[in-house]
Amino acid sequence: MTTSTIIQTIVVLGIVAVALVYVLRRVIKTSRGHGDCGCGCGKDCQCKNKPGKKY
Amino acid sequence: MMTDKDKKDITPRLLDNEPVGMTVQVVRVMGDGAFRQRLLEMGFVRGARVTVIKNAPLKDPVEYMIMGSHISLRHSEAAQVEVTDKDADFCDMEDAYNGIVETEVAGMDPMSDNVLRVVLIGNPNCGKTSLFNNVTGAKEKVGNYGGVTVDSKEGWFSIGGRKVQLVDLPGTYSLTEYSPEEMYVRTYIRDNHPDAILNIVDAGNLERNLYLTTQVMDMNIPMVVALNMWDELEKSGDKLDIEMMSRLLGARMVPLTAYNGHGVKEVLEATMETIEESEKETKHHNVNYGPLIEDCLKELGAMCPELDRYTVLKIIENDQHAVELVNSQDNAELVKKTATDMRQRIERDFNDDIVSIITDLKYGFVRGALAEALTPNPDRATGETKPGYSFDRLLTNRWLALPILLVLMWLMFEATFTLGAYPQEWIENGIGWLGQWIGKALPDGILRDLIVDGIIGGVGGVLVFLPQILILFFFISLLEDSGYMARAAFIVDRIMHRVGLHGKSFIPYLIGFGCGVPAIMATRTLENRRDRLVTILTVPFMSCSARLPAYLLLVAAFFTAKQGLILMSIYLIGILVAAITAIIMSKTFLKHDKTQFVMELPPYRKPTARNATIHMWSKGKQYLQKMATIILAASIIVWALGYFPRHEGQTPQEQIENSYMGQMGKAIEPVVAPLGFNWQMGVSVLTGAAAKEIVVSTMGVLYTGEADATEESASLKEKLQTATKPNGEHVFDPIVAYSFMLFILLYFPCIAALAAIKREAGTKWMIFEIFYTTGVAWLISFIFYQVARMF
Repeated sequence: MTTSTIIQTIVVLGIVAVALVYVLRRVIKTSRGHGDCGCGCGKDCQCKNKPGKKY
Repeated sequence: MMTDKDKKDITPRLLDNEPVGMTVQVVRVMGDGAFRQRLLEMGFVRGARVTVIKNAPLKDPVEYMIMGSHISLRHSEAAQVEVTDKDADFCDMEDAYNGIVETEVAGMDPMSDNVLRVVLIGNPNCGKTSLFNNVTGAKEKVGNYGGVTVDSKEGWFSIGGRKVQLVDLPGTYSLTEYSPEEMYVRTYIRDNHPDAILNIVDAGNLERNLYLTTQVMDMNIPMVVALNMWDELEKSGDKLDIEMMSRLLGARMVPLTAYNGHGVKEVLEATMETIEESEKETKHHNVNYGPLIEDCLKELGAMCPELDRYTVLKIIENDQHAVELVNSQDNAELVKKTATDMRQRIERDFNDDIVSIITDLKYGFVRGALAEALTPNPDRATGETKPGYSFDRLLTNRWLALPILLVLMWLMFEATFTLGAYPQEWIENGIGWLGQWIGKALPDGILRDLIVDGIIGGVGGVLVFLPQILILFFFISLLEDSGYMARAAFIVDRIMHRVGLHGKSFIPYLIGFGCGVPAIMATRTLENRRDRLVTILTVPFMSCSARLPAYLLLVAAFFTAKQGLILMSIYLIGILVAAITAIIMSKTFLKHDKTQFVMELPPYRKPTARNATIHMWSKGKQYLQKMATIILAASIIVWALGYFPRHEGQTPQEQIENSYMGQMGKAIEPVVAPLGFNWQMGVSVLTGAAAKEIVVSTMGVLYTGEADATEESASLKEKLQTATKPNGEHVFDPIVAYSFMLFILLYFPCIAALAAIKREAGTKWMIFEIFYTTGVAWLISFIFYQVARMF
């Protein structure tokens, strides 16, 4: 196994681990009704969407 | 005042028996309870003129015009309203106008942090959210039908150096706590004590809209009335003396056209002036109900100094929620007894029941004020509909309404398919080129495989359907903004009623074609909990846009003709399964009495390009965000599970079959094989449980190793067309593809939809939904596949 292969494997496994953690967190948050489900109606969606205007 | 002789001359008939085109006057609403109260609040008060507009295509419900609004009622409900065609002089309604009274209230304390809270309230579909978006810069959903906003939305603006929190509340006809949204609004105001109420009224329909205003006036909270859709009032030829109307109501009134922003600044300035005055003055203007009721209010108000005038009046009306508020007082029993004595005295004096008396008096107040300040267009005859309803001649026509509804739905799917195909091809070519370029640029190895097969194969497979998603949402936006949604509910109410659902359930169903989560939230407009439950549990059968990529992929790959119809058939099967489910539920464990169909039909309005674009853009952005987050992450995981463990000397196909994903797929293969699925399809539906787009991205990753599609530029469609089993047969044919689409349509709602079901219906129903939908999906796919294979 070359050094390049080892580095590539470590990078890829790191990416996979991050993806796994992200999906798990997202699924848990969404199942509790607080996730940004992407539909524009959840509570988090609303929290992000608190713009302000000056008159 | 109507004389005794007049009263004897009136022989009441039932509204139900009146022919189309007839204009009659309401004598009384029979029955009791919440439905009666809702009819009274919507204007079915003594003396109000009602015109029978038309029967729905299936004869029920019936469209009526009252106070300029178009309301639909079922025949059985119209039979509760006694009317007369005699031109009776019910002028005691106008006589009931006693002006306003000034009440001493504690001055509002300016908030120390200089932050003010203003709440928007008004009837459904009067333009609150349009104003909210305009003022705060938010992009909350708007539509031309009641019940778009079902939750409070908060935004901010600053004016004159003061920061203001603006809260958009769901639309409500009154604050009597008849339906969940009324309860929500009433409780919100009571618990949050806003600095001011910005009351939005439809200027073209003042009589009905100002009823809510009379209730708000009694809450002793500073109020500004914004006369929205002022442009429509001007076009109608009616003239309103705003200054006089403001004086008669004792509240500032400001003209407004929220959709284009005309008058927004003036409304905000008037709100600030009102708040500033309330910080100095201690007087508040209320409806004057006449000496008897005013004396009662004073006497009972002195016994409950903590309660506002609105609540005290509700205690006299014997409103249970209001009565509960005095239970904690030491003199609770005395208060209740005094209220009962007062109620009996008032009912004896007016010779009517208390709810009718108060409603009549409030409408009397409104009518009296309007008689002074509003000059109707003299050219408009009694019973003539206002502008904005002319399309109904065609769209709710007895013979054409249902065919038009079906054609519109077909058009939506056909356009989604055919128009979207061109940009889809461009994106597909771009992704193919990118895959090839990266494949050549990177050296062979695990990183290259991840990027080309995992990320580009997975995300790219779903990304290509962005144009179709945009087109679908464009059509949904047109339906919502034009006012057709309420017509669709009107047209299909009879059918929905037959299957144990409410006509209003059709609106969540249509929204469900976009996304199940807002559709489940939209069921809040249904008054009856069992109606809501049946609708919530059947909405997931409406095919949401996240499933669309899978259908588009499979239809394009395995059906050469009538692709739009094939796509529409999937949606219709979803509706059919929802209907059968609703019948079963409403006849068994969710059995309930029929509920009423009181729904307002708004005037048609021209959908604006701005709104449609905002809607499309926001959905497109959400779709791309999903690509960059959950779909990307899921594709990487699916790729890793299909890539490891590595075995030397195996072909790509053998490698993937022996991978973790392959082993998992082989384990569930016996369950999905009777449906015609191979293990890759089984794994795809499993991963699709997180979000339905992942079905396609998983296939994009799993089919990268197909023998006949080794070229990296080959699209997923081509890979599926050439995919073969070990015995050389094709994996997919039209029967397998359709069976797969049926399963994707019906099985397990996504995690977000399940969370919404849990929130709205509870954990028990969420668990039920998981098993029920998946069971139904398996059974229907099984029957279809096995039967189709026989021919």
